[in-house]
Amino acid sequence: MNESWADAGPAVAAHAVTKTYGNGVRAVRGVDLEVPSGEIRAVVGENGAGKSTLMKMFYGLEQPSSGEILIGGRPRVLRGPGSAIALGVGMVHQNLMLVPSFTVAQNVVLGVEPGQRGLVDSRAAVETTALLAEESGLAVDPKARVDEVSVGMRQRTEILKALHRRARVLILDEPTAVLTPQETEDLFAAVRRLRDGGMTVLFISHKLREVREISDKVSVMRAGSLVGTVATADATERSLAAMMVGRDLSLDVDRAPARPAEVTLRVRDLAYDAPTGQSLHGLGFDVAAGEIVGVAGIEGHGQSELAEVLAGLRRPTTGTVSVGGTDTAGLDVAGHRRAGIGYVPEDRLYNGAALDESIADNLVVDRHDRPPLARRGVLHPGAVRTHAERLIEEYAIRTPDPSVPVRALSGGNMQKVIVARELSAGPRLLIASQVTRGVDVGAMRFMYERLVAARDAGAAVLLISADLTELLALSDRLLVLKDGRLVGRFDDTAGLTEKRVGLYMLGVEHHDQEQLTAGLDDVEPDDVESDGVGPDGSGEASAV
Amino acid sequence: MTTTPMTLIESEDRREYRVTRRRDLAVDLSMTLATILAALAIGFLVMLVTGNDPVKAYEAMLTGPLDRSFRVGRWLEDATTLTLLGLSVAIPFRARQISLGAESQVYAGALAAAAVAVFLPLPPVAAVLVPLFAAATAGAGMGFVPGAMKARLGANEIVATLMLNAIVVRVYDYLVNGPLKEPGSSAVHSRSIQQDSALTPLSDWFGIPLGRANIGLFLMLLTAIALWLLITRTPLGYRIRMTGSNPDFAEYGGIRVPRAIEWSFVIGGAVAGLAGAHLVQGVYGRLEPGLAGSLAFEGIVVALLARNNPLVVVVAGLFYSYLRAGGDIMEQQTDVGTEIVVVIQAVIVLLVTAQALPDLLKRRIARRQAGVR
Amino acid sequence: MNSVIDVVFSSAFLAAVLRVATPYLLAAFGGLVAERAGISNIALEGQMLSAACTGALVAGYSGSVAVGALCGVAVAVLLGLLLAALRLELGADAIIAGIGLNLLASGGTAYAVYSLLDDKGGTSGLKSGSLPTVTLPGIESIPVVGEVLSGQNMVTWLAFLAAPFVAWLFYRTRFGFRLRAVGEMPDAAASVGIPVRHVQYAGLALSGALAGLAGVFLSMGYVSFFVRDMTAGRGFIALAAVFLGGLRPWGVFLAALGFGAAEALAVQLGTMDVPPQLVSTIPYAMTLVALALYAWRRKRRGLTQETAASL
Repeated sequence: MNESWADAGPAVAAHAVTKTYGNGVRAVRGVDLEVPSGEIRAVVGENGAGKSTLMKMFYGLEQPSSGEILIGGRPRVLRGPGSAIALGVGMVHQNLMLVPSFTVAQNVVLGVEPGQRGLVDSRAAVETTALLAEESGLAVDPKARVDEVSVGMRQRTEILKALHRRARVLILDEPTAVLTPQETEDLFAAVRRLRDGGMTVLFISHKLREVREISDKVSVMRAGSLVGTVATADATERSLAAMMVGRDLSLDVDRAPARPAEVTLRVRDLAYDAPTGQSLHGLGFDVAAGEIVGVAGIEGHGQSELAEVLAGLRRPTTGTVSVGGTDTAGLDVAGHRRAGIGYVPEDRLYNGAALDESIADNLVVDRHDRPPLARRGVLHPGAVRTHAERLIEEYAIRTPDPSVPVRALSGGNMQKVIVARELSAGPRLLIASQVTRGVDVGAMRFMYERLVAARDAGAAVLLISADLTELLALSDRLLVLKDGRLVGRFDDTAGLTEKRVGLYMLGVEHHDQEQLTAGLDDVEPDDVESDGVGPDGSGEASAV
Repeated sequence: MTTTPMTLIESEDRREYRVTRRRDLAVDLSMTLATILAALAIGFLVMLVTGNDPVKAYEAMLTGPLDRSFRVGRWLEDATTLTLLGLSVAIPFRARQISLGAESQVYAGALAAAAVAVFLPLPPVAAVLVPLFAAATAGAGMGFVPGAMKARLGANEIVATLMLNAIVVRVYDYLVNGPLKEPGSSAVHSRSIQQDSALTPLSDWFGIPLGRANIGLFLMLLTAIALWLLITRTPLGYRIRMTGSNPDFAEYGGIRVPRAIEWSFVIGGAVAGLAGAHLVQGVYGRLEPGLAGSLAFEGIVVALLARNNPLVVVVAGLFYSYLRAGGDIMEQQTDVGTEIVVVIQAVIVLLVTAQALPDLLKRRIARRQAGVR
Repeated sequence: MNSVIDVVFSSAFLAAVLRVATPYLLAAFGGLVAERAGISNIALEGQMLSAACTGALVAGYSGSVAVGALCGVAVAVLLGLLLAALRLELGADAIIAGIGLNLLASGGTAYAVYSLLDDKGGTSGLKSGSLPTVTLPGIESIPVVGEVLSGQNMVTWLAFLAAPFVAWLFYRTRFGFRLRAVGEMPDAAASVGIPVRHVQYAGLALSGALAGLAGVFLSMGYVSFFVRDMTAGRGFIALAAVFLGGLRPWGVFLAALGFGAAEALAVQLGTMDVPPQLVSTIPYAMTLVALALYAWRRKRRGLTQETAASL
């Protein structure tokens, strides 16, 4: 299959590769990269640094605008994944590319099915898969339907898919985002075994700890360019982080100490049974007016579910939630909004906006049926437009006109529309989920300022983010979620380090019940004493 | 940051934006015109290939309907029903519900209007209004069934509306052939409606023969304006639009999406019911077998052509009916089958649905202008 | 009531069921293949109509039934490819494009017949013949079974063979395997190098062929002439059977057979004192109820799953 590889030279390489998209975005600029055979090479960078685009070019999903891609030591033109596969490149995508109703074995062989004369030999498929799984140490059940197995097994299926195609280069795009620590360990063990067998592995991540654990060398990308490549042994998380982020690591947010007032959001014994995804178990916490409470956790550990339950998009199974004294657990979305909840959703393209509708219409979804926009059953387009012009001005949304469809805006501007809508409602509680995901630095700073301003104006802010730097920079207090449970609570974030929080996210450490429920009413009254955390964020109770 | 994604409209230059918008509008308009011309050209070729004289045929088709006043009446009468049916699907389409149920709704409306107008003695003005109201209610009810099935249960609205069509058409056929058939008549149709229930013919107003065209025309125009106001100027219209554009966003914003979907079906059904009443009270004066013909499906075409904008639906309905009326005249005068009109219409639909075409063109123009600069 | 039962169990009725179900089965399988390829084929109706008309006309003018049938099927295949091209190349909505194709077929066939034969109604003036029937020597003489099975048109046999064929195609062959992957998860299929569009084009062509066969049966099996709009909504009913059958070959088979049986029953009862129009609404009403029940059950199962997980 891979006969055309040259004997010497790097397994994969990019020479002066630039990728400019049709809309003018230059995602990758002049990258030179060489990865020799049998190496695990981590490629790190922030969101939007261009790592995924570069990998897509190695896999033939994108074609470089200039420069050349080399596979097996020779320049190649990859017209699609088909040609990349034929050259021995396999890729495990961040969103797994599996057919849900097919079995594991069927997914593994899809595209290169065993069998003769146009038929598929299912038994051979199962045998092949079982054999591959055994050889590589990636345990799967070949006969199970993919939509009925764990995320970890789905990912192993993806890797087996690549192995079945005799991949000599394996690209893993943020493979650990959805894995438990145990699954991550297993994955790493399997990856090392593959490397020892001669496989070249490209490991995309922005988790430095994992990168240090698994890789031989690290290439750092920033803003589309390759900043440098270092041997992992010589790198520290700090040095890598400094290469990764263009901005100062301790992102300067001008933030006065919080002046928390009365409790606005009160969550007790909250449980939610998710039909798919992460369930929530026994959550209890408060968010007071005038403070920002961050929620940390590895992605997929219940943050999205928590946000949607609190916003009214999902109904909790048990427990109570109240906002400013209103019991919201039984209300519909409109009821939640009436209770004073604003919500910046994590995926703005999915439900944050109606992309084909105008900015003006997008700004009024929660208030289109009441004055000043609507009176006596009549919606006034003039009022909607004036309203939009005011918010465009106030939130510095860059657009020539309120009638522009939201689709035509950049990520940062689109997010500004959403934030403008949610903040201008004057929420008691603002749930902000991944508020700076995929926005430029200017917009990012703008969001931070607005969140702090909202806090200072007396809103309770629940900030959910995958970006620990952001959480630590903004949060007055921090909660950590793992497996849908609260495992950490830091009532003082000053001096708290990412590393420290990471230990809680990974489940290495956890706070005990006493610490988690300290100061909450309605819980066992015997644990009121400890209500603070040391400056290093350790779990020991100490006065603040 | 330098990697800020550059998208279509980033500048704050209002003038430039207006120019772009005007250009896009011009492209849209000329595309519509080009679409119609292309369809006519294809019709031209088809006639040529089948050994007819296309010039003569088109002359009859395109000038015929305006030839004599009663032909104008024939056109307007047809346009009234067709436009109402176009409006009736435009509303669910706005909520992105593919309702194909206009057929069941128009027949239900016709039955309800006839039941009242034939059997229920009423004072003069009420004699017109009550059957209209009954028809709208029946149509709305017929819209509610698939609407509720979709909104509350998630049942596929295409299948539900098609099944309902099949059922209602057969029940209607049975009623006209059986219980409602005029006793003692050899032809199959119901008894005529009472004199007072008839929609006043336009001939009475203008004093020239306008065939069966009637004040239903104004009813249709009023309905179109009302629906346009509904969509653009009411909270319900806003909810329907947002539901159609992105239901997840609508739900997130606090809109009760199932309600919006149901309402879109009910409103559409009521309008289709009015179309049925127009056929009974204005056109035929009684129930006839298959009285809506293929109008229900052609209403879909009209709505599509108008991109579901109620005011544009009127224009599209008038245009489409003009072709239909012209086709009939063409057949009488030139022996070219009126079905060529259906072919032309079909080509228009296929070209209109090819959405990539205008976008492709707009992008190309934009690129060329950028290149010039 | 007795007479109804007599009718239902008569061999003539059973034979009629097979005959009446033929176009439903073929068209439904056509719809199924397209649906599983990821493109809803609402143009089944138009494909049947075009095939029926083309078949009768070509057979009439060429004198060859086989050539007519082949041309009929070929036209339906072309319409399928056209639908795929509109969807895949020009970004058209498959439903709306399908409506357009139906309109094109309705107008085109009527115009063609009128232009060629100067007849508004159909091709009854043209001698076009019909496809051969299959007599089964040996079985022919067995009572009931012979009367039901023997003497059926060859297309009827093809229609009943279509169920195992499509099941085999979907679950045993490489093409079917990839077709299902493409329809369910096009990105996944593309990421392993499957040419997604090619597979979809092939699926739509096959869909057209099956619908075309259904159409050919109408004008060259049932009767030997084309009548304007003779499909009478069968394509839409077939589409309903696709969904009712849960997008599975044997489910679709049962649903389509059910529609055929109900229509045959309506025809038989028409000879008695029952209004045939009302009887013929039964399958549609049943579909409507089944659709609602199915959706309701699915929704409730979704809810109970949630509560079950809480235990």
